[in-house]
This record gives sequence, C-alpha cells and structure tokens, in this order.
Amino acid sequence: MNKRKILSPEKMFPLSWRDTIISFFIFLGTLLVCFIVRTLNEDKTCLSMFFILGVFLISRYTNGYFYGTIASFLSIIFVNYYFTYPYYCFNFTITGYPLAIGCMLVVSIITSAMTTQIKSQHALSLAAELEKTRSNLLRAMSHDLRTPLTSILGACSAISENHDALTKEEKLKLLSEISEEAQWLIRMVENLLIVTKIDSESGSAQIHKSPEAVEEIVSEAVQKSKKRFPEQNVTVTVPQELLIVPMDAMLIEQVIINLLENAFLHSQTATSIVLSVTKVAGFAVFEVSDNGKGIDKELLPHIFEGSISRNDSSEGADRRSMGIGLSLCNSIITAHGGTMTARNKLMGGAVFRFTLPLEEH
Amino acid sequence: MANKQTVLIVEDESNIASFITTILTANGYAVLTAQTGSTAMMLISSHSPDIIILDLGLPDMDGQNIIKSVRSWSQVPIIVLSARTQEREKVNVLDMGADDYITKPFGTSELLARVRTALRHASRVGTNEGLGQCGKFVSGDLTVDFDKRHAFVAGKDIHLTQNEYKLVALLAQYAGRVLTYDFLIKKLWGPNAPNDNQILRVNMANIRRKLEANPAEPKYIFTEIGVGYRMVEGD
Repeated sequence: MNKRKILSPEKMFPLSWRDTIISFFIFLGTLLVCFIVRTLNEDKTCLSMFFILGVFLISRYTNGYFYGTIASFLSIIFVNYYFTYPYYCFNFTITGYPLAIGCMLVVSIITSAMTTQIKSQHALSLAAELEKTRSNLLRAMSHDLRTPLTSILGACSAISENHDALTKEEKLKLLSEISEEAQWLIRMVENLLIVTKIDSESGSAQIHKSPEAVEEIVSEAVQKSKKRFPEQNVTVTVPQELLIVPMDAMLIEQVIINLLENAFLHSQTATSIVLSVTKVAGFAVFEVSDNGKGIDKELLPHIFEGSISRNDSSEGADRRSMGIGLSLCNSIITAHGGTMTARNKLMGGAVFRFTLPLEEH
Repeated sequence: MANKQTVLIVEDESNIASFITTILTANGYAVLTAQTGSTAMMLISSHSPDIIILDLGLPDMDGQNIIKSVRSWSQVPIIVLSARTQEREKVNVLDMGADDYITKPFGTSELLARVRTALRHASRVGTNEGLGQCGKFVSGDLTVDFDKRHAFVAGKDIHLTQNEYKLVALLAQYAGRVLTYDFLIKKLWGPNAPNDNQILRVNMANIRRKLEANPAEPKYIFTEIGVGYRMVEGD
C-alpha cells in the first residue's frame, strides 16, 4: 500500500479488499469480546468502551475515513441493539444518545485523519530521502563525468591541432588515453543504467530473478573484465558441484565486474586477484580478494555509502567511481537477499565478499 | 582485390557508421551505408550485399521488421548491433533469423571476427547445405571428430554422453556464432520440447567439466548470459 499523495476525495474514502477484511475482523473481534464480557459480567458500562477501541483500531489500520465512519455507525447500532437495555430492539430515545454517536464519530474521524497524516508524512520523508540520494549521486556524477570528458577533448585537440609536430608515439599515447577515458565513461553509464533500475520504485529494486548457473555468470564477468583490462591477472575457482542461484544475471554480473575492476584499479600494487565461489550453508559465497594495499581504515566503515568519490575527489582520478560502484553493488546484493562485506586481510590486501541465497525465500 | 565482398551498414548514427566504414574499408571490404530502414530495404534488393550490419534503433522502422522481411526471400547473413539495454531483443532477433549480434561498444577485432565468421558460414551453407557435420573441428587442444562422433582434448577422448556430444558438435559446427537456448533445445530434444533451460545448463556444466581445464575460465565454449552459448572459432 503506498499512499503517497495527500488527500483527494478518492484518497479520503478509498475502498480495498485489504481494508475491508481488516475492518471486518477487528469488528468481529470487538463483538466477540463484548458478548463474552456480557455473559461474565452484568455491568454494561465498559462495553461501549470496547467499541470505541474497535473504532479506533479500524481507523488506525485502514486508509482514509470510510471504514472508521462505517464502523462507528455500526458500533452505535450494535451497542443499542444488543448491549443496552432494552435488549434486542432499537431505542434511540435514551438520553445522551446523540452525544454518544457524536463521540464515536469524532474518535473515528480524528484517528483516520491522524493515520492518513502519518502515512503521507512517512511517504514524504521517504521521497525526500530518495531525492537527496539522487541529487548527491548526480552531483558526484557530473563531477566524475567532466574529468574524463575534459581529458578526451584535450587529447583530441592536441592531436588535431599539432598533427605534424607530434611524433607517432606521442599520438598513440594520447589516443590510448582517450580510449581509456572513454572506457571509463562506458562503465559509468552502465552503472547508471543499473541505478535507474534499482531506484525506480521508491527505493526498492526491480529485479527479475531467474535460476542461473553461477559458473556461467562468473566466467562471463571475468571474460568481460579481461576484455577491458587485458593485463589483469585473475584466478577463478568455482565448486565442482553446479550451483544454481536465483538472481538477476545482468546485475550480479555487473557486481562481479565492478568488484574485479575495483580490485584492479584501486589496490594499486595488486599483482594477483582471486575470485572464488563456495557454497556455505544455503548460500553461494563470492569472494574477490587482492594482494594490494588494502582499504583505508578510515574509509572502511563508509565504503558502501556511495560518498567516497565526492569527499576526497582531490585525491586523484584513480579513486573516482569507486563509491558509486560499491554502493551500487551493495544495493544489488541486498535486493537479492544477500549481504556484502569488505575487510582487509592480515597479510595485506582487501577482500570483498558477498552472499546470495541458494533458495528463493 | 578484384572482387570485394560488400557490407551494408544500416545505422542512423553517422559517427558510428563512419568508423565502421573506416574499419571495413581498411580491411578490404566494399561498404554501403543506409541511415533509414527504407533506404536499407532498397539497397538490399538492388545491390544484394554479402552481409548486413544492422542497428535495431532506426528512425523510420524497427530493425526487427527488416530482419523479418529480408529473411522471407534471402539468407544473406545479418549481424545486429545491440545496445546493452536491449538484452531481451538479442534473443528475439537471433530466433527471428539474424546470424549474430555485437554489443556496443565493440572493438575492431571483434567486429572483423564476427563479419568473417558470418561470411564463412554463409558460403558453407551455399555449397553443401544441411550436411556440415563431417570431417573435424579443431581449436587449440580441442578436436571434435564428426565422423567418429567423439571429442578429444589434447588427443584424449573425453567420453561425452550422446546428448553432450550432440551439443558440442552443434556448437562446433556453428563455431564463432552464438546459438540460442531455444535453438539448442529444439535441435536436441525436438520442436515440442519444453522451453526449459535447466536441463541444458546441467548438460553444459557437465561438458564444461570434461572439456575445460577450469570451468570458470572456459577456453572453448563461452556463455552469453540470457542468450545462449558460443564455441570459439576453429583454427
């Protein structure tokens, strides 16, 4: 049930099966309690209290004013018919009856109004939070995008304007820089595509899971990653047993590519990267470990928050994209019902580890 | 070369068309370009190119319609250029009769390899249609002997089961081309087989364990996630 918009006539009196069922059972419960209390106890004064409670609960747990109002009218009728003297007939002439009806209605309307308000406030704060993450992301992105574009344009004009003055080696070097930056832009855009997939429905991920063979996903990810960085030295191990895991193949592949790339680009001194998959107690466990310089201790607790690239953009180009990439990986894994962790090895180097449940929950 | 093979590039982004043209011309192909679907259709019937490189997002018509109408009267190889967001379309166009696809962005060598493969398959179909499976397929240490119906790695028989052999032989016969799950299932278990990838996956996993030194780093049979499998080009 996501009721985002603030009151319109349809929102004030919305009808739904869910609310009808809730109202029905709460009301039934109230009646039951009243009948039980009536058989045990001769005192009738507390009975109308139960109905007020019932009306309150219904107003609280349904949307809009409709169910609360209906419940208060029904309560009046039931109290009158079953639980006040004379029993089993209607008598609306008892003194104070209009007052009782009024009280019930006021309780119901105030509670409904409060409930609606709380819900819309909750939705608003969620939306605001999402908006904040998004604008943070956009700000980080626009900075991150400008840098490679500047160097691409610069290298291009260097070549076209000094065509005769540059040696062949210099030109080739500039060209390889252009291609490197363009590669980076492409990876960024691929991640962005996934961000739109993840954020589209109020923060919850739109993932389409289907059973996939882990080794196929892993091998394709490694293959793609090697195509981008042929010098990357990756060792891969998978269990002898074929692991089939329900997942969105494209997203998990992107996670593995991001982690491999991260190990390659950010560990700086890493000479070997190991990607291993094991099966541990109902989970497929993926680990990417390198023997590089490890993760900065101060960054470690915030590594999945997506703000790293923005905070220390001054530290240089090699750090950019790390934040967005990793926070993205984390959201993808969480959306799959798994967990993601990062730690430093005692012997040096970093380990990123994520799990995926083998069975659909 | 006296008789160059003609490539038709159907792509509305002129920059992309231009760099593909440069690559292909430099490698000895004659190149035609079309920016719209209607021009493409005209050029296909008037020039009958040897191969078509087709972008799906055209301004005037859906690229899939071009594949459909071309396939109704011609077997000319078609390579589809696809963007990453068109994952599902890839399978559709392959099942519709496209020969292969390349995901953007792609490199020179990848493009040339795909063009060569598609042209080679097309010429083979022209000569001995339907036969195909005779002789040997060799790539690195892998040998598939179509006559003996056995596969060998480094000279040793790897003892494939009947279905496993059929899969490997099919992939080898179409080496370099991606074969969709649907195609493989229909070829192995008949046209009425349920479209269940699971049994295919299990077979492939077994093949991988017999064929590859490390199943996670295959050298011969590659997975194209969500699409199918591709055998590496023969030597």
